Amino acid sequence: MKNKRLRWAVPAATAVAVGTAFAIPALATASADELPETTPADLLAAVAQAEPTAMSGTAVYTARLGLPELPAEMTGGADPLNLLSGSSTIRVWTDGAERSRVSLLGTTSEYSAVVDGPEAWTYSSAKNAVVHVSLDDAATAQLDAAKADAQARADAVDPASIPTPEALAEQVLAFASMTSEVTLDDNVVVAGRDAYQLEITPLTDDTLVDRIVVAFDGETYVPLSYQAWSSMDTSAPALEVAFTDVSMDAPSDAALAFSTPDGATVEEKVVTGEDLAAATAPAEGTEGDVPVLPEDFDPSTLDPSALTPGAGFLPEGTSISGFGWATVVEQSGVDVAGLLSGDVDADAADLPASPWAGRPAEDLAEEFRGSAADGGFSLDATALYDQLTTPVEGGRLFTSALLSALVTDDGRVFVGSVPTDTLLAAAGLA
Amino acid sequence: MSSTLTERDHDGVPTTGGDAVVRTRGLTKKFRSGQVAVDGIDLEVPRGAVYGFLGPNGSGKTTTIRMLLGLVQPTSGEALVLGGAMPRSAVAVLPRVGALVEGPAFQPYLTGRRNLDRLDAVDMTADPRTSKARIGAALERVGLSAAAAKPYRNYSLGMKQRLGLAAALLRPRDLLILDEPTNGLDPQGTREVRHLIRELAEDGASVLVSSHLLAEIDQVCTHVGVMSRGKLLVQGERDVVTSGGRQSGERVVITTLRDHVDGARRVLARLAGVDPSSASEAASVEDADHLGDGAVTVTATLGGASLSDVAPALVAADVLVLGIGTDRPSLEDVFVELTGEGFDVAR
Amino acid sequence: MSHAEATAAPDAAEAPTSRTTAAGPEVREASEASEAPTRRRGAFGRLLRSELGLVLGRRRNQLLLALLASVPILLGIVLAIVSDSAYAGQGPGFIDRIGGNGLFLVVTSLFLCTPFLLPLVTSIAAGDAIAGEAGGGTLRYLLTVPVRRGTLLVAKALAAMTFMLVAVALVTAAALLAGGLLFGFDDLTLLSGQTIPLTDGVLRMLGVAGYVAMSLTGLVAVGLFFSTLAEVPVGVMAATVVVAIVSTVLDSLPQLSAIHPFLLTHHWFDFAEFLRFEVSWSLLGQGLALQAAWVAIFGSLAWARFTTADITS
Repeated sequence: MKNKRLRWAVPAATAVAVGTAFAIPALATASADELPETTPADLLAAVAQAEPTAMSGTAVYTARLGLPELPAEMTGGADPLNLLSGSSTIRVWTDGAERSRVSLLGTTSEYSAVVDGPEAWTYSSAKNAVVHVSLDDAATAQLDAAKADAQARADAVDPASIPTPEALAEQVLAFASMTSEVTLDDNVVVAGRDAYQLEITPLTDDTLVDRIVVAFDGETYVPLSYQAWSSMDTSAPALEVAFTDVSMDAPSDAALAFSTPDGATVEEKVVTGEDLAAATAPAEGTEGDVPVLPEDFDPSTLDPSALTPGAGFLPEGTSISGFGWATVVEQSGVDVAGLLSGDVDADAADLPASPWAGRPAEDLAEEFRGSAADGGFSLDATALYDQLTTPVEGGRLFTSALLSALVTDDGRVFVGSVPTDTLLAAAGLA
Repeated sequence: MSSTLTERDHDGVPTTGGDAVVRTRGLTKKFRSGQVAVDGIDLEVPRGAVYGFLGPNGSGKTTTIRMLLGLVQPTSGEALVLGGAMPRSAVAVLPRVGALVEGPAFQPYLTGRRNLDRLDAVDMTADPRTSKARIGAALERVGLSAAAAKPYRNYSLGMKQRLGLAAALLRPRDLLILDEPTNGLDPQGTREVRHLIRELAEDGASVLVSSHLLAEIDQVCTHVGVMSRGKLLVQGERDVVTSGGRQSGERVVITTLRDHVDGARRVLARLAGVDPSSASEAASVEDADHLGDGAVTVTATLGGASLSDVAPALVAADVLVLGIGTDRPSLEDVFVELTGEGFDVAR
Repeated sequence: MSHAEATAAPDAAEAPTSRTTAAGPEVREASEASEAPTRRRGAFGRLLRSELGLVLGRRRNQLLLALLASVPILLGIVLAIVSDSAYAGQGPGFIDRIGGNGLFLVVTSLFLCTPFLLPLVTSIAAGDAIAGEAGGGTLRYLLTVPVRRGTLLVAKALAAMTFMLVAVALVTAAALLAGGLLFGFDDLTLLSGQTIPLTDGVLRMLGVAGYVAMSLTGLVAVGLFFSTLAEVPVGVMAATVVVAIVSTVLDSLPQLSAIHPFLLTHHWFDFAEFLRFEVSWSLLGQGLALQAAWVAIFGSLAWARFTTADITS
């Protein structure tokens, strides 16, 4: 009998040993105290100063936006639509400069985007389809000219008048502090690397964004993880991208190169000089000076309303209300039906470009636009639109944990990281 | 598994003297259902014995045998087989034990020969070079050579039983534990099995053979043990057991005519050394009209006298002898006497 | 000899003799016990061969293997017939690539067999291992031969593993054969769009097959454990398949993402890694480590159960 109990102790001990073996890597990521102390300003300066780093790695992307899930199995293979909800695995290769490859992994499929200087490709393994984006001669010349111009101007500037990265960081922080509180969080370990964490918390309660946390590698200052927390859900970030595995070695040339596979369908997209000119047009208003704030800049003396861009700054039909995180962008004269029916080229440029580029919700909108432009919708776009939005009086409402959008029946679109009531009020429908 | 000797020393279980191939002390099996299948039995099978292990179905014989073979862990008590404690010494001891447990069981889609080959392959101590010869000999011995190439599922019940016996005979064995070896066999097959058991015993093997049919075993065994409801009611040499422990030997049965009863009684009393005045108590008389008009039988214990002395003595005393014979009390009689109930009563 | 006397059993228990008198027979018995025949070299090999012969020689199992091998062949033939029809571009996995490169028949066949057919075959072999012998009553004869229960369990586990390996190998071989004959081989286009030479492509396919086989080892251990619990092999087989299916279902529920990394089937489809530009060995390592964990836990459970169980069948 004693012998018998002893034998059953073996599987119990095995289970404990296995559990421990699986728990050790998890425990190892618990804390990272090795990094030298820093401040938000120093960190930002270091990030700004950091050399572009060649790297490759695997990241896990998780969206908890409250949207219907469209896993790769439903979209017929890996597709950017998978990013709407749920977890996706992404692999990244970059030389830190001109060449990069990003792959979205499906169970047995892959959606790749390759950028090589002015050229770009996407490849969907499920559809065996390539989209090749390139510049025509005029556009190339334009771009080269712009580069040379920028270089010349940079050369012309008196080096003494350029603020140090530290000073610049101070200014950026001061500017940001009008809308947000920027703090350092505890250091973390991401993909086995020690990292600093910067936390940005909106000062206003009028936005859906609760806080944004970015982890920067303690050595190379490459961002290793990114979390956007919604005020609607405090248990888990609404949007999260984090490396699980990262290498700072330069990727092989083959990883960054793209050659069209045999038998794949190829769609050529040529960006012409006119396209480029149209796309850069809104920047005209700001052309000239590098936005340098005076040394004695004090944000508290600033009138917030002065920060709202004037009409001349914005493309036609676009207007902005609200301030900072609670900004609502309004675009009028949008033909949603036309967009959904696939005639998107004409309208793609009409979607509002965000003044807060890089914000996650905007990324999502970008994804929408991008995939639509690629003709990449494998689901019926109209059906998808119907599924993602709910009808309200006078329009349709899109709700997610970080971003709301309202499409009115009279062709106006309101987008903002704000509660839907704010949008309805802005549209006069509330 | 460690040496059986030290195991036994640690357990400190006393052993009786003698040369036993199977010995259990307080062997008990209580199943998880709460049923006590075997209740503290002290089995003792002497070397060289043919031990009839008797009892009705459900009396605990098979569970005991499973414990002896290391298949079932005793709840308490211990079992020694060829000196090794079970189930710890199973691997060391069982190669010298041939076993047939609760009917034969083989892979139905393999031939008889392949089934034996498989069992031999499982034996880590068997010599693969002699495997073929040993399998052939075992099949031959049970008379299955002709059917060796047939799949087991096509075997009759008797052939299956024989294959089971052949498996027990794959190697020379010191002990054979045969659970119901005659189950499913016709009278001819039963006789053959009995013959086989005798042969094996003559070759020097000890045999523990269980059965729920008393008569079957009665004829071959030298020792018996009787189980009922998990308990071992009695065990020992067959003749001693059947004589109820009186060691008074056989009883003689004489058929005569009613007029000669008194004379017969007197003669029998004299032979048995009983006081003639109590002759009427020493012998029982029964009418036996089916043997002839006025016929009776007189039954008496022989005591120390020899059966061969009886007839001359009767003739000398002018007693008419119509028939003379002996009467061994059957195991069934013993069983009924011990339990007060019939043998076939299963619980 | 006193022991031979007829005594009612309870009395016998009351008749212990002193240990001094017992010494004689004990020494003799001890020497007898130590005479235990020695284990022969290569005996385990013989046992294993015998077990393999049993598993692979069984008609039912051969039928299963034939059925499994017919999957890639039938798939190839069907695709060859309808290659230009309206179905092109539809269906799971890489099905629309097969027409261009027969190598894809391997991965498509394994992709189709992984969710159900291969687990089924694995469960049948593993579930039958002990329960089949117990149900047929042959287990008691194997153990009284005798053989150590641990040894028998290992032999049974290895036989079940081998059967599973044979199943995977057969699907792969049949797919290679059918793919090569019907469509021909070409350089392999990876999921990321890069193309690698044919020899590398074949190696990658073998990697896929190897990983699929290793992914099923955990299920073998689960089936083996279940097999030690019951005497009805069909029930054990069903229970084992159900484990694989339930695991798949749980793996698809996002609410349970916390337990996903520990699910038996979580990494099953990671074999697609072999079709990516850079095979993530760490991801494949996770899958193998997970299987190793399941094998360790359920293997030891099976051992504990089997070596202590009462064999009453």
